Amino acid sequence: MLLRGIISSPLPSSLRLKTHKNLTVSAQIKTQPTTASSNNYTISDQALESRGFVLRRTIEELNLDHLNSVFVAVGFPKRDPQKIRVALENTDSLLWVEYTKTSKPVAFARATGDGVFNAIIWDVVVDPSFQGIGLGKAVMERLIHQLLLKGICNIALYSEPRVLGFYRPLGFVADPDGIRGMVYSTRKQKKKK
Amino acid sequence: MLTHNVVAPSSLCPIVSFDFQGQQVYDKLLFAHNLNYGLDRGGIRKHKSLRLRAGFWESIKSGLLKDDTTQVIETSPESQEEEPLPEEFVLIEKTQPDGAIEQIIFSSGGDVDVYDLQALCDKVGWPRRPLSKLAAALKNSYMVGTLHSIRKSPEPEGGDQKKLIGMARATSDHAFNATIWDVLVDPSYQGQGLGKTLVENIIRALLQRDIGNITLFADSQVVEFYRNLGFEPDPEGIKGMFWYPKF
Repeated sequence: MLLRGIISSPLPSSLRLKTHKNLTVSAQIKTQPTTASSNNYTISDQALESRGFVLRRTIEELNLDHLNSVFVAVGFPKRDPQKIRVALENTDSLLWVEYTKTSKPVAFARATGDGVFNAIIWDVVVDPSFQGIGLGKAVMERLIHQLLLKGICNIALYSEPRVLGFYRPLGFVADPDGIRGMVYSTRKQKKKK
Repeated sequence: MLTHNVVAPSSLCPIVSFDFQGQQVYDKLLFAHNLNYGLDRGGIRKHKSLRLRAGFWESIKSGLLKDDTTQVIETSPESQEEEPLPEEFVLIEKTQPDGAIEQIIFSSGGDVDVYDLQALCDKVGWPRRPLSKLAAALKNSYMVGTLHSIRKSPEPEGGDQKKLIGMARATSDHAFNATIWDVLVDPSYQGQGLGKTLVENIIRALLQRDIGNITLFADSQVVEFYRNLGFEPDPEGIKGMFWYPKF
């Protein structure tokens, strides 16, 4: 069930996600039950909880001003909270980590897409004071898992050069087969005419 | 997901080039791709039906060659600065040797028959995808742009034949980012600049809705095509990455 979306076509041998001793996710595993349960990740839900972090999957208790602060702290431009709300309401999947002590978000990631074929992951952030302890990885592993459960097997993102090393161990490949990520630049538009 | 088989537009009669007085207006209208005019170029007459504010239209009418079949649908004055992109408009109108008229119409209304879409995907050689998933993908897309060819029979009783000849869609969070997927044009209609127009109009519609970050992933063969449309690969070193891609 977990990899139904991927299993539909021949897979390269590289599709072997070793995240933890107890888990090898591979093409051969068709019968393994998949639940978003705590034991499948590098750091389990319980381990996170015991350290004071709670995983959240909805925006209900997410304070957007606090989220905005995290964005700003990692260098994103400050964005209109109302627009952030609209963006989150139109986001298929999102995950954030709440630090119990302060009730504030300290890690976040979301994915948009068409719900069946493609998903793009955006806004992956970890509060600088909480970086380096596996929260980014925790959020990413679970977000990917969530997307796979929906049958989405094309998961993409745009990575700043300095964090390519964060995404690679998670299974991301840059420019596979020469495919390039491209962004529309309004500055260039005038030149074209 | 990826852009395939959209041949870089040739210099053959690009839709947007024409002889015209009034250069400044030309540029603005060029960008808008909404222009109503008639030109005699052999058997090809290019029309674009346009919904414009009356005042704006008046100001450019003097610079245009018009013929009787030109259709101008004028809306009431809008409060926006820029004229809104109409949901549907004619890009090209050709008179065929048998007297039939073929119109190529762009629409951002997203009215796509999934069977037609699947047939189009087959034509460009894409692997088959389940119809139900295609339908869901379209439904979940923020914007679906289509190109249809409508052939109006020369016979007075003859009906119209409508054919899907191009599509592009974009997913979005409705606020910041949009990603364009699945850009395709029927091979028999490629090489005329239709793919270019398709993408340009999607971009325009997205920008009008204030979606500032428009992205896509391009196969190596079409990187240049998109560069010419204003896309930049790896801006500031930012790399597109895929999770365990099947390549």
